[in-house]
Amino acid sequence: MSIASSWEDGPLGFWYELPYQTQKKIKNVLLNVLLAIVLVLILFPIYWMIATSLFHSNDLFTLPMPLFPSDPTFVEYRAVLETEVVQWYTNTVLVSAGIVLLTTTAATLGGYGLARLDIPYKKTFARVILFGYMFPPILLSIPMFIFWRQLGLINSLPGIILAQTATTLPFSLWLMWQFFQTVPYSLEESAMVGGSSRFRAFVDVALPMAKPGMIAVAIFSFAIAWGAYTIPSILLTDSSKWVLTLGLASFTEAESVLWGQIMAASTLFVLPTFFFMYYLQKYILEGFRAGRI
Amino acid sequence: MPAKHEEVRRRVHPYQESLYDVLSKRWIFVGLTVLPAIGLFAFINMLPMLWALTASFFEIGALSPEWHWVGLENFRIVLDDGKFWASLFRSTVFAGGSVALQVTAGTALALLLNRDFKFKRVVRAIALLPYIVPTAVLSFIALWMGNSRYGIVSQILHQLGLIEQFIPWYGSPELAMFAVITTSSWKFTIFVTIIVLARLQSIPSSLYEAATVSGASAYRRFVDITLPNLRGVLFIVVLLRGVWMFNKFDIVYILTKGGPLNKTTIASIYAYRMAFDQLNLGRAAAVSTLLFLLLLGAAAVYFYYFEPSEEVRVE
Repeated sequence: MSIASSWEDGPLGFWYELPYQTQKKIKNVLLNVLLAIVLVLILFPIYWMIATSLFHSNDLFTLPMPLFPSDPTFVEYRAVLETEVVQWYTNTVLVSAGIVLLTTTAATLGGYGLARLDIPYKKTFARVILFGYMFPPILLSIPMFIFWRQLGLINSLPGIILAQTATTLPFSLWLMWQFFQTVPYSLEESAMVGGSSRFRAFVDVALPMAKPGMIAVAIFSFAIAWGAYTIPSILLTDSSKWVLTLGLASFTEAESVLWGQIMAASTLFVLPTFFFMYYLQKYILEGFRAGRI
Repeated sequence: MPAKHEEVRRRVHPYQESLYDVLSKRWIFVGLTVLPAIGLFAFINMLPMLWALTASFFEIGALSPEWHWVGLENFRIVLDDGKFWASLFRSTVFAGGSVALQVTAGTALALLLNRDFKFKRVVRAIALLPYIVPTAVLSFIALWMGNSRYGIVSQILHQLGLIEQFIPWYGSPELAMFAVITTSSWKFTIFVTIIVLARLQSIPSSLYEAATVSGASAYRRFVDITLPNLRGVLFIVVLLRGVWMFNKFDIVYILTKGGPLNKTTIASIYAYRMAFDQLNLGRAAAVSTLLFLLLLGAAAVYFYYFEPSEEVRVE
């Protein structure tokens, strides 16, 4: 190794005299320190959201601000719960469930069809799907508003589910198409040779093996649905139909921005989803493994 | 399979089986699997897109639903507008900067997480959290942390003696673009991390063991095993993130509304103003059609030069 040998004479030359095991240990410690720094960068904004929601309002506007809420208060949470937040929360849960269900079903069936069946132009189609992302979504919401109004889908949860699925479906379909290509077809074939029908082979053999992919798609579409802002802001004008993101934005339109309330609502909004990340990470990492074009 | 399940299954079996037989007929099966996805895609993606493409050739009154054919007039006006070109440039800076940051940081974090360390499950879960924090929530946290008078970021930097006075991160013309890129990358880097980490996990560890035994350095193992295996996913990640960041609207709009002094007025915000402030739908459609064509062209070039000819799968 020419690079290494030139370094051996440099100021860091002592490094090469250390035993291999020691080198390895030191490297590992350094990498762990780096990882710890990254974790702090990730956690601090989340911590600050929670801390702000627990401060007394006069703590928020003193300098220097304390880093810990020494005397936590739930005043902001009570204030938030007096607004329409419960209604918005319910709407968000329903909308997200709808989007996840619609996306996962359509993407799983479609991905299977594209991967297994002999359909003309399927490869072209699989690429065209991703081109669906190339049109700015903010502009797609205008024709959607016009069409949805004709169909009576403005200010309705099914309407927003349908519209928002436009942003989750393309990648999900593409991902499931990829995923089914990594599930060996021979298993289904042998099931069919054994007398089971085409559909039974799909349900009993292919579907269970596609579970990680389906969970990955569900997480992906959930992450988008839960935080959807742009399309709902156009299609939902009635505040009783709002999702939480729109409600949050309305807190900033008050005369003075209600940071305590915004952070309390955000905490209620975000914390439950963290459990998904903990319990589903294994599936997420398995499901996204199939990535090529 | 549990006995009870088996029992239920035996009873419904004859009906279920004949239903399954019907569903297995070739055209019904094709229709059942592919049609829902294609139909949905046509209705919620293609149809609005076609509407907008068509609308770009018309002048559309904001209050009257009448369309007047104007040919290429909308495009001519947009292409003559210096503000359009400026916004396009800012979109390119925003997308380019974000993708560069997200792909390098995301891959690095994935490599850091793909090792053995204590509390692996918890640490990994924490690292993946930002991806599930809604963009709007992130924007409000960032606005609060970067507040020009009470922002905790400035406060900490000030206490450490790094800055003299508080910095309005999102309100300063010099810093706004940098601040917006960094903020959105806090979340979207994790998308790269998830995909790369998933791929890293599917590389068999026996490969690394064999390479180590035959004396390959850590650097050579990375170049000869890790990178070729990541090429396919990095290709698609750069494409997707590039397209998504180029068309991004919500986070930039909440953080800066396109300001200060239009320094963060990216093309999607320019189009938004055209549609909702100037109420000129035809011209807004022309802007998005131009953006679409530009991305299409860029994607074609990208595919031509970088598409991995075959999946390099060293196993």
